[in-house]
Amino acid sequence: MTRKVLLRYSTQKATEPILASVIKKTEILPNILYAELSTKGGEILLSIDAPDKEVDKTIALFKQKGVEVQEIKRAIELDRDSCFDCGACLSLCPTGALYMTDDKSVELDENKCIYCELCVPSCPVRALKLSKF
Amino acid sequence: MVVTAEEMVEIVRERGEVEAAKEVDIVTTGTFGAMCSSGAWLNFGHADPPIKMQRIWLNDVEAYTGVAAVDAYIGATQLSETHGFEYGGGHVIEDLVRGKEIKVRAIAYGTDCYPRKELETTVTKDDINQAVLCNPRNAYQSYVAATNSRDETIYTYMGTLLPNYGNVTYSGSGSLSPLHNDPNYETIGIGTRIFLGGAQGYIFWEGTQHAPTKAMGTIMTIGNLKEMDARYIRGVTVEKYGTSLYVGLGIPIPIINERVAKTTGISDGEIKTDLTDYGTPRRDRPILREVTYSELKSGKVEINGNEVLVSPMSSLKRAREIAGVLKKWIEEKRFFLSQPVEGLSTDQVFKPMKQIAGVPFVRDVMTREVVTAKPSDSIASAAKIFAKRNFDHLPIVDAKGRLVGIATSWDIAVAVGTGKKKLSEVLSSKVITAKEDEPVDAVARRLETHKISGVPVINARGELRGILTNQDLSKLLGGRGR
Repeated sequence: MTRKVLLRYSTQKATEPILASVIKKTEILPNILYAELSTKGGEILLSIDAPDKEVDKTIALFKQKGVEVQEIKRAIELDRDSCFDCGACLSLCPTGALYMTDDKSVELDENKCIYCELCVPSCPVRALKLSKF
Repeated sequence: MVVTAEEMVEIVRERGEVEAAKEVDIVTTGTFGAMCSSGAWLNFGHADPPIKMQRIWLNDVEAYTGVAAVDAYIGATQLSETHGFEYGGGHVIEDLVRGKEIKVRAIAYGTDCYPRKELETTVTKDDINQAVLCNPRNAYQSYVAATNSRDETIYTYMGTLLPNYGNVTYSGSGSLSPLHNDPNYETIGIGTRIFLGGAQGYIFWEGTQHAPTKAMGTIMTIGNLKEMDARYIRGVTVEKYGTSLYVGLGIPIPIINERVAKTTGISDGEIKTDLTDYGTPRRDRPILREVTYSELKSGKVEINGNEVLVSPMSSLKRAREIAGVLKKWIEEKRFFLSQPVEGLSTDQVFKPMKQIAGVPFVRDVMTREVVTAKPSDSIASAAKIFAKRNFDHLPIVDAKGRLVGIATSWDIAVAVGTGKKKLSEVLSSKVITAKEDEPVDAVARRLETHKISGVPVINARGELRGILTNQDLSKLLGGRGR
């Protein structure tokens, strides 16, 4: 099962190779969906595809190293009752999380979403909703 | 036999139009796209004491009431005075169809026969007399595909267009497109009964901007809003553009001869449209190339060697559904084809607007004598330039005269303060620019959007041609009075 984890670093921690050391130790290969670093600190959004126990272990490791960890659950939703498959969102989605099926329905694969939010205002009937994390 | 236009493509491909003409009686079409030129006539009945409405608002969206006392036309793109882009005339129309209660507010100057000056009430579609969807222009035969050459995202009626040809949008159902299936208007005309918003409506005239010689024919349509279904009538917001109305529309095409069999059998691969640059804010926009509907519907289009994602904007799924519903209605004898009483014009030309005043272009107003500097120049020399002359922007060019960056007086002040030595250390290389042949209005909008006071003007090779500043623009304003 794929789970998404948001890491929050202080500026101090940002200079340590925390992510690399966790990867080395757990041998789990997380996918970095989004990363940002500023003078106030940094954020990395990881998508981890591993058994639940392993993900829990990884989260514990990050916490041990002084990184704030938050698990992200259902951050974006496509309201199928409202959506009428116009596809305005499709060409704005950088990861293909929003895609068209063979029968021309618009579908959302949340695992691929990086929460760039480009699609949200593009929806003419506001069928895409983002719950803030 | 009744088939949808998509099924007809297969039949003609397999058996040819001669056989298809013998077998197929009717082909149904469909489209479900944003049709801004839409609206509804409403009649509210008389209040007591009566009012001759001078202005009227429905859920804070103004409707036009410059007709008889209690008639009004609510247009799809009119914005709410309280909710802006989030709610407009299109949404009012959808809410009426859904049977929702609409807040009505009207004012009047009062007459002897209509003394009332103010009115507030609520209505649903059942409370009012007529609610007639009456659309001046629907169902474009074909329409261009859009992309954007600019280095910034733009928000258009064709949707959000990403910078540097970052995506493509188009609107139209291709082989299912109603008018495209009968491009010579052999069966479609005034009086043709159609599927409109889930009810049965009619074509009552050629549409505004009808341009048959350019394969951009349009139709005016009318139908009873009270009978419509919100599945096929949706109010929408187009990001940073405005509101509109998605209209579901389908036309049945009787296969009266082999020619019509052939045109209804045209596939997406044979339907072409122009891929157009909406980054140029002019009436005639540059065309990159022709694309087919099968390319567009595949979801990816190639531009300059790159694969670019495509947004359809109109719903192919619902267009297909509409053609299917129409087919079913005809098969179940719930819908009868009508013979047009008059044909649509086949030679009408869509004229541009007559303008009595010329529009100024960047080349007319820009300052041509521009002091420039090289990246290797010192901050001190740049500071001297600013001290000697009264301006705020110093374009920085390379040996060939190509713009590489810009420095403002502020940048130089900061550079002096922080002990920087060369211009190359402080110049901003992401420069907002303008072209000589752009209308001044487009550049003024750019200055406003980016909150800047001037832009360098460059040609296609990136060479500096001049500079356009707020000062140049205000001179223009002074000139207009003369």
